[in-house]
Amino acid sequence: MPAESVLMRFVEGEGTADLDAYVQAGGYEAARHALTTLTPESVIDIVDQSGLRGKGGAGFPTGRKWKFIPKGAPVKYVVVNGDEAEPCTFKDHMLLERAPHLLVEGIIITAYAVGAHTAYAYVRREGYLARERLRQAVAVAYERGFLGRKIFGTDMDLDVVVHTGAGAYIAGEETALLESLEGRRAMPRQRPPFPAVAGLYGKPTVINNVETLSHLPAVIRLGPEAYRSLGPPALFSVSGHVRRPGVYELPLGTPMHELIEHAGGLREGRRFKAAFPGGSSSAILTAEHLDVPMDYEPLRVAGSMLGSASLIVMDDTTCIVRVVARAVGFYKEESCGKCTPCREGTYWLSLVFDRILHGRGRMEDLDLLAHISKGLNGTCFCLLGESVPPSLDASLQHFRHEYEYHIGTGRCDVEDRLPPQHFAARSTGDPGAAAGTPGA
Amino acid sequence: MPVLRDEARDEIRRLPDHYEHRQSALIPALFVAQREIGWLPPDTLREVADLLDLPSSEVTSVASFYRFFFLEPPGRHLVLLCTNLACALNGAEHIRHHLEARLEIPPGQITADGIFTFRESECLAACYLAPMMMVDCDRFGPLTPKSVDEILERYRAR
Amino acid sequence: MAEPPATVTLTIDGRAVTVARGTTVWHAAEQAGIDIPIFCYLDRMPPLGACRQCFVRVEKMARLQTSCTLVAEEGMVVSASTPDVRGAQERNLEFLLINHPLDCPICDKGGECPLQDQTFAYGSGRSRFVELKRDFAKPVSLGSVLVLDRERCILCWRCVRFGEIVAGDDALKGFERGFQTEINTPFTQPVRSKFIGNTISICPVGALTSRTYRFQARPWDNDAVPSVCNHCGLGCTVWLDVRDQTVARVRPRETPDLNDIWLCDLGQFGFEWLHAKDRLTRPLVRKNGQLVETTWDEALDLVAARLAESRQRGAGRVGVLGGARLTNEDNFLLRRVFREIVGTPHLDHRLDARPGSASLQVAWGLRGPLAAIPESSLLLLVGCDITEEYPIAWLRMKQAVDHGAQLYAIHPKPLEIHRFITGRLIHSPGAEGVVLAQIANAVRGQKPDAKVLQEAGVDPAVVAGLVARLRAAARPMVFIGKNALEGPAGTTVLHAAQRLQAAGCMIHIMRGKGNAVGAALMGVLPGPGGWTAPEMIQQAARGALDVLYVLGGDPATEVGDAHAWAAAREHTPLVVVHDLFLTATGRDADVVLPALTYAEKHGTVCNLEGRVQQIEAAVRGPAGARGDGAILLELAARLGAEWSYGGWEEIFADARAAVPGLEIGAFRTPPPLQGDWPANGALPARSADLVLITGEVLFDRGSMTARSPAIADLAGPPSVWVHPADAASRGLVDGALAQLSVGAAGLVLRARLTEEVPPGRVYVPRGYDAVPVNRLLSWDQPLVTVSLRAIDAAAAAGPGSEVAP
Ligand SMILES: Cc1cc2nc3c(=O)[nH]c(=O)nc-3n(C[C@H](O)[C@H](O)[C@H](O)COP(=O)(O)O)c2cc1C
Ligand code: SF4
Ligand code: FES
Repeated sequence: MPAESVLMRFVEGEGTADLDAYVQAGGYEAARHALTTLTPESVIDIVDQSGLRGKGGAGFPTGRKWKFIPKGAPVKYVVVNGDEAEPCTFKDHMLLERAPHLLVEGIIITAYAVGAHTAYAYVRREGYLARERLRQAVAVAYERGFLGRKIFGTDMDLDVVVHTGAGAYIAGEETALLESLEGRRAMPRQRPPFPAVAGLYGKPTVINNVETLSHLPAVIRLGPEAYRSLGPPALFSVSGHVRRPGVYELPLGTPMHELIEHAGGLREGRRFKAAFPGGSSSAILTAEHLDVPMDYEPLRVAGSMLGSASLIVMDDTTCIVRVVARAVGFYKEESCGKCTPCREGTYWLSLVFDRILHGRGRMEDLDLLAHISKGLNGTCFCLLGESVPPSLDASLQHFRHEYEYHIGTGRCDVEDRLPPQHFAARSTGDPGAAAGTPGA
Repeated sequence: MPVLRDEARDEIRRLPDHYEHRQSALIPALFVAQREIGWLPPDTLREVADLLDLPSSEVTSVASFYRFFFLEPPGRHLVLLCTNLACALNGAEHIRHHLEARLEIPPGQITADGIFTFRESECLAACYLAPMMMVDCDRFGPLTPKSVDEILERYRAR
Repeated sequence: MAEPPATVTLTIDGRAVTVARGTTVWHAAEQAGIDIPIFCYLDRMPPLGACRQCFVRVEKMARLQTSCTLVAEEGMVVSASTPDVRGAQERNLEFLLINHPLDCPICDKGGECPLQDQTFAYGSGRSRFVELKRDFAKPVSLGSVLVLDRERCILCWRCVRFGEIVAGDDALKGFERGFQTEINTPFTQPVRSKFIGNTISICPVGALTSRTYRFQARPWDNDAVPSVCNHCGLGCTVWLDVRDQTVARVRPRETPDLNDIWLCDLGQFGFEWLHAKDRLTRPLVRKNGQLVETTWDEALDLVAARLAESRQRGAGRVGVLGGARLTNEDNFLLRRVFREIVGTPHLDHRLDARPGSASLQVAWGLRGPLAAIPESSLLLLVGCDITEEYPIAWLRMKQAVDHGAQLYAIHPKPLEIHRFITGRLIHSPGAEGVVLAQIANAVRGQKPDAKVLQEAGVDPAVVAGLVARLRAAARPMVFIGKNALEGPAGTTVLHAAQRLQAAGCMIHIMRGKGNAVGAALMGVLPGPGGWTAPEMIQQAARGALDVLYVLGGDPATEVGDAHAWAAAREHTPLVVVHDLFLTATGRDADVVLPALTYAEKHGTVCNLEGRVQQIEAAVRGPAGARGDGAILLELAARLGAEWSYGGWEEIFADARAAVPGLEIGAFRTPPPLQGDWPANGALPARSADLVLITGEVLFDRGSMTARSPAIADLAGPPSVWVHPADAASRGLVDGALAQLSVGAAGLVLRARLTEEVPPGRVYVPRGYDAVPVNRLLSWDQPLVTVSLRAIDAAAAAGPGSEVAP
């Protein structure tokens, strides 16, 4: 944990879904402070100076994004991206379930800064508990006068509408999300114009990730320098072959192996093999990168990216061919179908992977995989299709022998070397351990 | 001719109030209709289209895009087994075999008794529970064959 | 701040190109003669950037760029043919082809297929795809016109976006997603569109084909003959693709300021009647009560003799009805023969007008070009069911709406395009005059009478909104249609329209089919002392005429009072008809002369804009039939005229002498409204019974449509539209047989229960030859109330039969 936990302290223990608990922990003071003593411009400056960058994957500096919003436009919107469907990313759900007022407060600050009076929070359909908690938080915030008319006695009006997704990963892409919010198929829009200029209903729109906005109370409360000195802080979703998978708040730049240690380290007797540092869209890294600082620039230099800061750890029981095949399968299932390379390329790749995994691979398939990957690289309409080449290419580069083994023998190199129980379930859980059962 | 109850029709008619364009109410409206009927038959899609003054082709096209609209009747409970990376790395395939054996169907189908629709799912944002699944609105994990059996029993009874 | 220069200069493949600011790189390349392949882009719609085929490399940009979406900027350095660009295009084509069956030899699109051409030009020539191709069920039929081959579809989205952006009918959509995406209608139902033929022409592969044309011919076998569609009156330009003396298909012929590259489905598929088996090929004359075949000489001699006889008895005992389906040259001869030789002033092409109707008092047509409609910020439809009557004009209105124009409609029932209408003014039958008069007065500063408006059935708030917008609008336009002009309040509508005209509105009179405007220009209108068409019919019923000469029209079904026509027929000794088929009028005529169609003639026609266009004969037509002009010249010769015309050009030259400004390509725009029309402020009396309203339908079952199998069923069976509440009180269910009666007259139709007709009125589409709704109508009674009841299916012979009430 960093010296001061800015988010997890609202999450841990009982959490702060309850408004009183949140207020007791200092909740809504930052928003009150911003609305009653700061000008919108200075709020934007503070956010800009804080070094806060988008947590949805692209890492765009939040303050800079807000500065693109045209000043004079009569109607502007804030849209919260709570679609969180990037494989193995679960920090936003955790925030919504356990500290939803952080987001509500972040929305108030954002709306004030950019001059919006309506905010939509788009939360995926499967996030039943997250949505329920957010709805409740919004409802009590209205009751207490934190939302609605004349917030904190100022002239600020703000409505927040919680909107449910309907099952589509691509709806997390910001322009596809706007399409979905407008009631259409979630297919990305051509940019420019960027949402900041023409977003929801063609009006200037700020779109930010749940976590991004949840940082704002801390940014205001601590001030830009103090906030920045904390790393700045970030939430990492750690999953896969670690003993304590979960969300960890650590400064950006924490080395990868430290993050793994925070998550309980590897299982008994297992060796680190590889990891996705930023969700399945980031290129796979190998043991030589265990020291890489988990931050934008160092990961880029290492040939990968921070993405949504979701570390997926794989130990030596992992068949990389299967992992990449599974990732490709995900993009195939979730491609919206608008553009040719993504729609056809992911489909073709899965057919080839299917063949290889069923013992019908050919050595020339390795070139074919690289060829299809090239066809997707830099050609797709949005980043969904472009998410395939990094890990596919990295796997062909670092784990070519595993492909060759599959193709040559019809079997799996890893399975041949390890006894089968290594593929058994992680632990014995009991169904009572189910996390949360909201009345839907 | 209307199939939805008047209350549901009114609910749908009010949905556009929250948005600048009435089509924004479409996805929420489809959920209302699906809650009422259990799925979205063609005449219900047309009714939603009429209530929102949208082309019914558009309504059907949108409904078909998203995974949570049922254009055919589903089972009473929806079992979503996550098989994405974190769950896969933790034995989701094993659980899938077990579910297939218990439900006597492959993913993508409805059990013979009509109780479960069984689907493989992409990541459900609960990787700390891997391998995990959702039944209707509830999350379960880390799963074992034994816990899967108990969970299924519980829902079979509902 | 200095204005940025209006142009930018960039280089593409080393060539400098200067283009208007805002031009895309693709268009800039096109301008420079550099070909960049495209599939999804179509320059009539905004770019989509989905197919990813039009890549270019731009200096200082990391990624390849899609040239269709990229706006050219000053100093841009673009390459369209570097190896990386070609490589990306080659790989992308390979993606497109992985699921495309290579069945070009049997595909209708073969030879005019962009995918085929580009595979040839940009493809690698071999595919690495060894998997099984996606397997869709074989071609599916989406109604009577469209066939969909999903395997061939490359998902360019053109057809879907055509329905969304151009036609506004959302006919085709994408379903499912990702690699499972397919273009279809919901649940593969028959497509609901009036414009679906256009999706066939813009499909870049052979995924959408037409049922009429499938496997009929290959493009290189056809001769393309330029012509003009003769259906609705807008005169869209077409190619008639001819093979072996048969029109194999009709395609849009691009005319940017008319139909652009589009056609409606009536124009595109309503041509099979040209080759119908029952085309007349021999003249018929009535002998002993029977129509029997005869020779041309006998028939013409007979007609000439009777015309000459009548001329002896005195001028003005011959009436001429029709002309809208003839060319200008035919009409010119028609006028000359009957005015100069026969000496009658009684000519009129407006045979579906009511006596005293407003349509007889005003010149028909648009007062400005169709292409100006999108520049208007306010469009008002008055009794004009635009998609049913003038479909291509709707495409212009849709453009206007997309540019932000407001659309209002004053109509007795909702229109199909209601989603695009800002303000619906659905009035009680017969109240359109009062409503429009209130609006016209309000625009000129008078306060509208809310009580009167409410009584007329319309919302005063909507009227207020319309009035405010009319005052502020740029180039407001009012489209007055047949329903308003023929209704009881027609002259009040004209009175109000004239006031709106004075307030700056452009008034379009949306009336007339085929070449009606040309007929009027050529003088097929009452001369001095002449009678209008309804007057002729009334006079004929009193025995005032020796001969009624009917051509290019079917008064028995078109005249809005079947009894009036029947009486005219009965009391006229000789009725002569030129037609293609034995119509209802022909069956009761004394002489029937087989004529030729527009596809079988050379000449000129005028559309509603007054635009003069040339047509060419594409096929010879059935042996034995003759052109109307040729028939008229034969008559003229028999009546002693010594005219010699060497061809249509000479007739046209004569016509130009008579009609100044008649030049091919020129516009003879009708003048603004001029006249003194009375206004009648009274509202029609309320009726406890159902009021009958009628209207045009595009795909009616008239003599031509009914003989064009592709479209014959598109309008559905003849039906009476009833509001569910009115149906319930009469025990009528949807689809049941219903008896509609007025006094002693009755019709049996299927009931169609729909909220598209307000309570208290029923709607019956006109134009079904089998169900002549004019038998229920009467010239004396502009508003007809009807009784409606369910009937026992067993007791009725089926829809269309007349049953005593
Ligand atoms: C395919 C795809 C899926 C995405 N999914 C999400 C998501 O689930 N949640 C999210 O916040 N951002 C997602 N993004 C990123 C958004 O497009 C966008 O960058 C983000 O919402 C901006 O917010 P931020 O600046 O606060 O990160 C996705 C992007 C792509 C290309
Ligand atoms: S998608 Fe492409 S090829 Fe199609 S037009 Fe565009 S960018 Fe161009
Ligand atoms: S991978 Fe299964 S819940 Fe995340």
